[in-house]
Amino acid sequence: MVSRILNILFISTIASLAFTPASPLRAGDRLRVVTSLPTLKSIVALVGGEKVEVSAIATGYQNPHFVDPKPSFIMKLSRADMFVTTGLDLEIGWAPSLIQSSRNSKIQMGGDGYVDASRGVPLLQVPTSTDRAQGDIHVYGNPHYWLDPIRGKQIARNVFEALVKLSAENREYFEANLNRFDSEIDTRTAAWEKALAPLDGVPIIAYHNEWPYLEERFKFVVTDFLEPKPGIPPTPSQLVKVISEVRAKKIPVIITSPYFTTDAAELVTRQTGARLAVLAPSVEAFEGVDSYYDLFDYNVKVLLEALNSPPSN
Amino acid sequence: MLQKILLCCVLLPPALHAQGAAVSASNPGISLIGDIRGTYTDDLPRKFDFLFNEAELSLLSSIDPYARADVYIGWSRDDDGEYISSLEEAYLTTLSLPMDLRMKAGRFRLSVGRLNTVHPHALPFTDVPRSSETFFGEEGLIDDGISVSWLVPNQLGFYQELIIEASAVPAESPLFRRPESGRYLYLAHLKNFLELSDNSTLELGLTGLTGPNQDLKTTSIGGIDLTYKWKPLQFNRYKSVTWQTEVFLSEFGEAAGGSVRSLGLYSFLTYQLGERWFATGRFDYADLPRSAGVVLRGYTATLGWYATEFQKIEIGGTLQSGTTTPDRTEITLRWIFVIGAHGAHQY
Repeated sequence: MVSRILNILFISTIASLAFTPASPLRAGDRLRVVTSLPTLKSIVALVGGEKVEVSAIATGYQNPHFVDPKPSFIMKLSRADMFVTTGLDLEIGWAPSLIQSSRNSKIQMGGDGYVDASRGVPLLQVPTSTDRAQGDIHVYGNPHYWLDPIRGKQIARNVFEALVKLSAENREYFEANLNRFDSEIDTRTAAWEKALAPLDGVPIIAYHNEWPYLEERFKFVVTDFLEPKPGIPPTPSQLVKVISEVRAKKIPVIITSPYFTTDAAELVTRQTGARLAVLAPSVEAFEGVDSYYDLFDYNVKVLLEALNSPPSN
Repeated sequence: MLQKILLCCVLLPPALHAQGAAVSASNPGISLIGDIRGTYTDDLPRKFDFLFNEAELSLLSSIDPYARADVYIGWSRDDDGEYISSLEEAYLTTLSLPMDLRMKAGRFRLSVGRLNTVHPHALPFTDVPRSSETFFGEEGLIDDGISVSWLVPNQLGFYQELIIEASAVPAESPLFRRPESGRYLYLAHLKNFLELSDNSTLELGLTGLTGPNQDLKTTSIGGIDLTYKWKPLQFNRYKSVTWQTEVFLSEFGEAAGGSVRSLGLYSFLTYQLGERWFATGRFDYADLPRSAGVVLRGYTATLGWYATEFQKIEIGGTLQSGTTTPDRTEITLRWIFVIGAHGAHQY
């Protein structure tokens, strides 16, 4: 029996080798880019165009803090020319171990193919002190910065610089795409700001502290959270406090993400009449949210619908 | 590597975040894991006990662009109530060998199936299965040696990793013993990982190991591990199911000639009841190695409450029966905490 198991081990290895291609598959002349999140994938696709083949590890409706590091992702990373991460420890529970297991020197931290998309992005909520008693605090600042389209331009510039480093001959092509992206963002942001003008100064409750960049750009005010502390599930006492707050301040909207259950938020909306808006925290969070532009189109639409709909109770 | 609690970054000290970021990035990730427990064992004179079972300090960092170092130092209580320290693991891992190879050298948990590579505090139960304990020891099979892992390229579209290890042979292990002569322990593990759907995965592992034993003969062990996981992508914090089984067959060569074959297995099912609650049921079976016909069986149930990623409380009860030993009932309440660097999530 023991020798049979050893034989199976040997034979299955030989069998898989028989299917091994002579050299790794290449995607034409395209750079193979893997991103941690679909939002970064969209920005890479917009800047890299047809010169890149890009895929993301997480899905848009997954909590980016808690992606399961499946070994199958290692295969994808082992062949990548570039890896783009959100940085700021958002993916610390899964991205570093995947990168280290990839055996791919190009995408190790410090390599030409390792891109921290947060470089140069002005950050919010950088703590002056940290202690886990405060909950899941990010020591470098709030990492959900892609939710401000203007900051998205810095992400695109970081991607551009990394692409040029790996494929200098396509510099002009990437630069044209970057300029087009910047111009689109400027134009569209003006339109989004105009559409969300009714939200200026409006108090809002959020499930988790992941919207400060959207809040700053579109000028609504998140006054409290359903989570008593970041990463701690809503407690009865916190919900009682929030319900009082919603009633006192006439808060019209509760915002949350698709990866949180809606029980707590629905309890508050039933008690107070506030409307629930499940926003897209990332590209590919919902059907039709296929690009970085769609992300804001969708969220603007959902926020306006929630603001303008009648009380929910 | 993914099956271990690996720690990746340093939390910054108060008021140093701005200037401290670059400095902390060059320091090792440091963490301390504590295991406090209360126990009830019905066949011991001291039925109830309370102890700080173990503290584990880990220091983890990249050394340079070519390798990283992982060091785990443990302090555990011996039978006299004294705390003894031990170097649980200390190894280097290469980061960029060519041809999808990765090498590990030092002292590490050998790649025997799935459970042996996981630190006990990360298990979803408070004890280890009888088969693991009787075949590999309570702490598992840990040894000094070299491990080479190869990411097998295949066009069948699934992850396959082959690990070959050679080690000095553990000084104390139920089935192996380091001899004075130049004999070593050799191990091969083939890991196959398939994504059945976005929400479910299957891992099939095959392990073979052989090395010298207490009788100056050879022990050979073959094993199969199978793990099925269901975890919906969207709500992976709220729901999951894990079913894991390992079967080992050992052949212990005896000094008098001939050999003794033993079978060991466990199977557990973990069901996530809610965001913080996990229930696990486990069955163990083990022929006592070197004692043909002596069988141990165990039935274990565990309920775990995971406060955060850094703290959990578990209560586990085990009924053990044996063909030559009296039945035993054990109940353990353990409280695990982590301070320091953030650990990698386990898959």
